[in-house]
Amino acid sequence: MKLLGRDIPARELIARIEERLRLRGLPTSEPADVPEEGVEPRVDPLSFNLQALEEHTDPTRPLPLHTHRGGAGQLVVVAKWAFRKTCQVLINETLSRQRVFNGHVRDSYAQLSAELLRLRRELEELKAAKAPAAAPPEPPVVPVRPRRPRAK
Amino acid sequence: MAVHQLIPSFVAGDATGQAALHLQLLLRRMGHFAELYAGEVGSGLESLAQPVSALRPAPEDLVLYHHGIASPLSGHLMHLPCRRGLVFHNISPARFYAGTPLAEALTSGRAQLAAMAPFVEVAIGVSDFNSAELRTAGYHNVHTVPLFIEPERFAESQADPAMRRRLEGPGPTVLSVSRVAPHKRFEDLLALHAQLVRLRPEARLLLVGGYEPGSRYFKSLRRTADGLPGVHFLGRLNHAELVAAYRSAQVFVSMSEHEGFGVPLIEAMAAELPVLAFGAAAVPETLGGAGIAFDEKRFAFLAELVMEMSESPDLRRRLLKGQARRLAHFSAENSQQALEKALGEAPPPRARPHRSPRKPKRPRVAIVVQRYGQVTGGAERHAQQLAEHLAPHWELTLLTTCAKNHLSWENVFPPGPDRVDGLQVLRFPVTRTRNIRPFNALSNTVFNRPNERLREEHWVAEQGPLSPGLLAHLEKARDAYDGFLFFTYLYAPTVWGVPMVADRALLVPTAHDEPPIRFGVYSDVFERPRALMCNTPEEISLIQRLYPNHARARVVGVGVDRPSAAPQRFREKHGVHRPYLLYVGRLEPGKGIPELLSHYRVLRQRYADAPDLVLAGEAHMELSGEGVRYVGRIDEQDKHDALAGALAVVVPSRFESLSLLTLEAFAQSTPVLVNGHSEVLVGQVERSGAGQAYKDLDSFITGLREVGNQRGPMGRKGLAYAKKYSWAKVVAAYQEEMDRILEEKRR
Repeated sequence: MKLLGRDIPARELIARIEERLRLRGLPTSEPADVPEEGVEPRVDPLSFNLQALEEHTDPTRPLPLHTHRGGAGQLVVVAKWAFRKTCQVLINETLSRQRVFNGHVRDSYAQLSAELLRLRRELEELKAAKAPAAAPPEPPVVPVRPRRPRAK
Repeated sequence: MAVHQLIPSFVAGDATGQAALHLQLLLRRMGHFAELYAGEVGSGLESLAQPVSALRPAPEDLVLYHHGIASPLSGHLMHLPCRRGLVFHNISPARFYAGTPLAEALTSGRAQLAAMAPFVEVAIGVSDFNSAELRTAGYHNVHTVPLFIEPERFAESQADPAMRRRLEGPGPTVLSVSRVAPHKRFEDLLALHAQLVRLRPEARLLLVGGYEPGSRYFKSLRRTADGLPGVHFLGRLNHAELVAAYRSAQVFVSMSEHEGFGVPLIEAMAAELPVLAFGAAAVPETLGGAGIAFDEKRFAFLAELVMEMSESPDLRRRLLKGQARRLAHFSAENSQQALEKALGEAPPPRARPHRSPRKPKRPRVAIVVQRYGQVTGGAERHAQQLAEHLAPHWELTLLTTCAKNHLSWENVFPPGPDRVDGLQVLRFPVTRTRNIRPFNALSNTVFNRPNERLREEHWVAEQGPLSPGLLAHLEKARDAYDGFLFFTYLYAPTVWGVPMVADRALLVPTAHDEPPIRFGVYSDVFERPRALMCNTPEEISLIQRLYPNHARARVVGVGVDRPSAAPQRFREKHGVHRPYLLYVGRLEPGKGIPELLSHYRVLRQRYADAPDLVLAGEAHMELSGEGVRYVGRIDEQDKHDALAGALAVVVPSRFESLSLLTLEAFAQSTPVLVNGHSEVLVGQVERSGAGQAYKDLDSFITGLREVGNQRGPMGRKGLAYAKKYSWAKVVAAYQEEMDRILEEKRR
């Protein structure tokens, strides 16, 4: 356990508290729950958008049921659930053309983003070729389809 | 260049909106025309922020986009045909929201962040931690511009007394402030509280912040809290209530595992509350060694530590001293320096002083006033008279709006160049008319109570007149003028315009004791100009009392003309044949007219020989009653004729910085009967000995009798007093102040 603060006698304070915990019969050291250090990683937009398009191409697939309201909000959730259960055929029929359209959007985006990645790579290679011989070649800028961070 | 801001959502109580308002203040102080545009504008806030569709930047303008969670505005930014910048407030990690619809929006926000990098020329993190994330996301020109707060808004005097009483109780009281969200780890606060009540069963935990009552997370917290004594979910509070909560606690605790900055940490410091916070993300940076940061959530240990922080006077003293030191770092001045650096506007190192060739013979001066020309109003009349007397000495341009009516601000005069009595006038349209009823209702919600900046800025915007063209002109054409002379502290063009040109601005505040003068948003108006040109010693005392750091102030006043007058001419023209009391000016409730009419009605009932009451000017209310004569608007000669023939001139307004009417009455040897609740009017009457003051019906009647009996001697004293107000002296004072500005400009 560390206490950070310019204006406190940290060591003395910790010792005093640990002593009090010992007198109360409580453990003076517990397993630490230290959070992850550092900043969040970059999320590559091209890969993320493609993955999100793939995830949501089918408009007939429901999103998780969720409400932020209490009371009547719960009733709304039940009503939504019942609608989904009983009206899936109607939903499929209504959104069938949207599903085809979304597939085209996804495929177009996949092709365009792949083309953009190829062009970026070529540009980097041309830049590297133009640079003085002594300079080390730069690594490729864009990783190939990194995975979206997985939810814990 | 103009620097506008783009925000996904501008609603009350939102931290990003507050940050945008603060940046707007700094940008104006840096001389920029700075407007707010939002994807979603909260109901009623349309006067402060415009919809994104209205954003039409010029190629040289800079648009700063505030980015957080995924927003379609990120795509909008990339396509804007101007310079682009980004302000990053960080994004909660999606791992805390797995299985909720929010998770994707959070990750999407990060993807958008990376996508915008090549399209942005300057990126601003509100902490070094955020700046590090910007670099990781691919940004190059990255700067840290810390948020700031206004500590005086968290003083004990700003706390809501009712909330303070409600939160009174045994301690120790722990407070945490943030919306109830998983990464804020409210479950850890409850675990800490469970340990604390083992030490002190009367301990209380106050949780301030919005929550979603139907969310699984909140329901699980509620279940845990139900098993513990002393836990209070207070929900979202208004500013005064929030200050009361800070001021009612002994320790502020944050268990959050992700903060891009942590505004409540410094708010707690401003409210003199010791801070204990889990050292996650930007928290240690924000604390900067102040308060106590910890790295392990050992709740039994932390409960003992909270006891120490609550009950050890020595530890509290040391913590508060350190926090006060840290708080000074989050000042507007420091943030402005960082912003100037980020925008490449840091002042260059001073080279050897060189003097520009010579002082201009006729300085080019802009007078900024809310209305000008054929309009009724004391301050406007003051501006007009002054302009006419300064015109031979300065090259004047009147910068004003197209409005004629100060209640609606409707555009009446055509925009663009105009000439009024030979003076050059430049008019700018007003973009929003005012409906006085809702405005009065708004005033009732903000007057005489502590507010956050947003509510005060909102009031100023609703007060108007909103004329973005005028502010844009101040930025674009500032170098075309050697100096600026602003009129009246109250209106939006002054509040937002003075900071833009403060280094060469004089202000004629016409300040009087009324509720809005206590708004913190007016501090720039009184503190930043080069000098305040006041009307009376009472006005300076008032400013000194409310703004002790005000700019240099001097009593200048106005000159009084004494044209010859023929009372009979007025009597004949308007059919007034009996002795009369006279009021000339705007006839509206704010001027004390209803009170005057009520007193006059009783006077008339009691005394058959009571004089008539003659009212002249623009009427904005019903005027009726026996003996009441409304003669409409009258011209200048008519006015002086009327003044000369009156038994006495009555000035019923409580709010006056200088009564021109009083001086004009004195100039015609007519005494006055004034509202005794106005320090300024009482001062004028006492110094001149040419009138009486009233505070109620009885003093109105006795005062009138006294003035009637002593009309001759009082009139002579009034005339002697008016002679001291010479235009030559007034003009000399303005020239002296403008010369100072010119002299400094030459250095």
